[in-house]
Amino acid sequence: MPSTLRHLLFIVAPLLIVFAILPGVYENHLMLFNFVVFLILAQGVNVIYGFTGYLPFGYVGFFGGGAYGFAMMVMHAHAPAPLALIVAGVAAVLLGLLLTPLLRLSGAYFAIANLAASLAVLHFVANPALEDITRGPYGVSLTATFNPNAAYWAALLVLALTLGVVVFLKNSRFGLALQAVREDPVSAAMAGVSVVRMRVVAWLASALIAGLAGGVYAWYVSVFFPDNVFSGTFSIFAIVFALFGGVATIIGPIVGVLILYGVYNLIGFTTPQYFQLIYGLLIMGLVLFLPAGLVSLATRRGWHVP
Amino acid sequence: MLVYALVAGLLFGLYFSLVGIGLNLVFGVMRIVNLAHGDFLMLGAFIAVGVSALAALDPLFAVPLAFVVFVLVGLVLYRLLVPRLQGSVNPEMLSIILFFGLSQVIEALTTIAFGTSERSIPSSELGAILAPLRVRLFGDADGPVELFGQTFPATWAISAMVSVIAIGLVYVYLYRTRLGTLTRAVMSRRDEAFATGINVDRVSAAAFGIGLGLAAVAGVFAPFMFGSVTPAFGEDATVTSFAVVVLGSLGNPLGTALGGVVYGISYMLVQTYLSSWADLLPYVLLILILLLRPSGLLGRRVRVA
Amino acid sequence: MSPEPTPILQADGLVKRFGGFYALGGLTFHVAPGEILGLVGPNGSGKTTAINVISGLYAPDGGRVTFEGRSIGGLASHRLVHLGINRTFQVPKPFLSLTVRQNIEVALAYGRSASAPPSIESLLQEYRLAEVADRPAQDLNNVQQKTLDLVRALATGPRLLLLDELAAGLNPTELDWIASRIRSLAQAGMAIIVVEHLMGFIEQITDRVIVMNAGKEIFEGTLAVAVKVPEVIEVFLGGEHAA
Repeated sequence: MPSTLRHLLFIVAPLLIVFAILPGVYENHLMLFNFVVFLILAQGVNVIYGFTGYLPFGYVGFFGGGAYGFAMMVMHAHAPAPLALIVAGVAAVLLGLLLTPLLRLSGAYFAIANLAASLAVLHFVANPALEDITRGPYGVSLTATFNPNAAYWAALLVLALTLGVVVFLKNSRFGLALQAVREDPVSAAMAGVSVVRMRVVAWLASALIAGLAGGVYAWYVSVFFPDNVFSGTFSIFAIVFALFGGVATIIGPIVGVLILYGVYNLIGFTTPQYFQLIYGLLIMGLVLFLPAGLVSLATRRGWHVP
Repeated sequence: MLVYALVAGLLFGLYFSLVGIGLNLVFGVMRIVNLAHGDFLMLGAFIAVGVSALAALDPLFAVPLAFVVFVLVGLVLYRLLVPRLQGSVNPEMLSIILFFGLSQVIEALTTIAFGTSERSIPSSELGAILAPLRVRLFGDADGPVELFGQTFPATWAISAMVSVIAIGLVYVYLYRTRLGTLTRAVMSRRDEAFATGINVDRVSAAAFGIGLGLAAVAGVFAPFMFGSVTPAFGEDATVTSFAVVVLGSLGNPLGTALGGVVYGISYMLVQTYLSSWADLLPYVLLILILLLRPSGLLGRRVRVA
Repeated sequence: MSPEPTPILQADGLVKRFGGFYALGGLTFHVAPGEILGLVGPNGSGKTTAINVISGLYAPDGGRVTFEGRSIGGLASHRLVHLGINRTFQVPKPFLSLTVRQNIEVALAYGRSASAPPSIESLLQEYRLAEVADRPAQDLNNVQQKTLDLVRALATGPRLLLLDELAAGLNPTELDWIASRIRSLAQAGMAIIVVEHLMGFIEQITDRVIVMNAGKEIFEGTLAVAVKVPEVIEVFLGGEHAA
């Protein structure tokens, strides 16, 4: 069996089926929805960080951009939710295009510039001077499209699409070439790889993923403020979840989300500062002792991890 | 109005230089991105609050205390974290995540210890010890300071003065001491410094300690410059520090002094004339500066001798 | 001697500046298919810069480079690879976390070789990497990494190959082996430019050398003649390779 099919059959399909069944047997739908959103975002981080090495510290910029793309279509164009969702993705891709010059920066410079970019978008959207367009800091309310059930299914669809992208990267020459660029751009160019084009494609793909996630989030919650959808927590959680499991794999980010977001839901809400402490220590321990994530426990032994 | 904005910008700018300089020293020497920088600032502020509230002393006394305490903290943290980090595949990238984790730990511990309420210090307390001097210079012991026909809070002037002194001392350290000279050598050519037998570890540990010490000293004045502080203050302080540091060129600590002043003045100008967009400034400025000093699409282009 | 075939690469007055420093100050030379040309000269004479300009790492600031009659100055590296130029690096940087096989697969897939490139198995066998084929490149020793770098270049089916200090760090047995590989590549029609400090190695494999000093060629001919030219001797005695 080709490995693409194997990955789709034994990783992607079971995960999607479980999250399709769970709403019927477990009543905290918001939590399930958040799990799906973080699975999408962690895989989106995987696409850009895992395969190209760019650490997207301001990844939430695309998420928030998507959420506001959705909201503006609904508020101003009275668009139906599915159309608004597509626009959410397009909005994030446009923002990604605008930010492609950032790809010129390497290492920490990129991470910092990306963080600054996401904060700039937040302050732009939340500016009271733009109240007529974005409602500024006062937030949006989208009663016309309110339908959490449909939004949940849309989120599953976006997750399926995202996992499809990651499976493709893991099994294609394109994904291999991306990793070559990550390891050494000069050698990659000398292998005939167009470094710039590869990076831009991966960057826009990860922007699209986050934008669609932002769109379904806006659809699901229907009332939100700029500070909610541009909260740095989304970037950080997505990055840490992906790293914790192990990037440049399909299952790493999935494992990371299931474990860490699970822990978060057990202790996070009641005593946030204790969660923050544990979470901070976990991150530090991860970097110091397991920088390649949980999957490296297996790869170190020579086992292949999809 | 313009004069006010310029002078206020200069005062804030000098202070911002102090805010950023420690971050830049650490990055310059170790290529480590200390995302917990702002949290050490926040801890410095809490030391000032403690000195003022518990010991009823002039918060200026918190300056040497904060510096010494955090130099020591820095030396310990260096031993615990940095060697292991430097041994990893991609230290620069992983340092971002490691120090983000540290910032979370600091913020959580501070919240657990002190709660989330806003802390401030009455502005009359800062520089109380300087009262005789001020009576001689300005004729009164408290109240605002007059510069170029404009009045400013005395705390701004004191913070700016201490910042100038601190930056001057950093200059003396880097250019007039042996360890400082070695520090500059490591900053300019880290790989070669290893080869020439410089004790890079010792230089780095010192730079790390001093970097955190300077952050804490900057923090002492944060309650006066920003009105109040909470444990969550660190995050904003980190981003501001980055804007300042990048403006003055990453890896060059004294460039930060210039960066701070440019940042402070532009901040005050935008605040005065275009106030609703002032929040955007640090971020847009940061991105523009980063992009206008590109390191090339292929990252570090020169890989061959 | 047979009449010289048409050059595959021709450099005319190549200039490369770094700030005010002229790393190349009007370098002119050519290389023909099937020929092995040595670039020699003291450190800082511009040998590696010449290779970097020809392989697209730097755009030239002046002069002309033509490859198979086409001007290539300033083209991006991957475009040059597609045209049929490749190189190795003094310090090889393979894709460390990818396996040796994957390293080669990338070059095979993206090299767009005009001729049918050799198969991955034959490359692995011929260059003694078969045993480590499925290990990540970071497990390789220095010599194996250099070999992998060479194989990465060969996988794109180049007609012009630039070798930057390939021999440095190899033991005598390995040197003989790599020299025989290079010669057989040239016999198959590949033009090869070798930058090297080891004069014995240069003497063993090159048909012709260009001696460079301060970014210009000062001698062209065989190494045996070169060592008798006063100007060349002075450059080397003045440099660090006097011995």
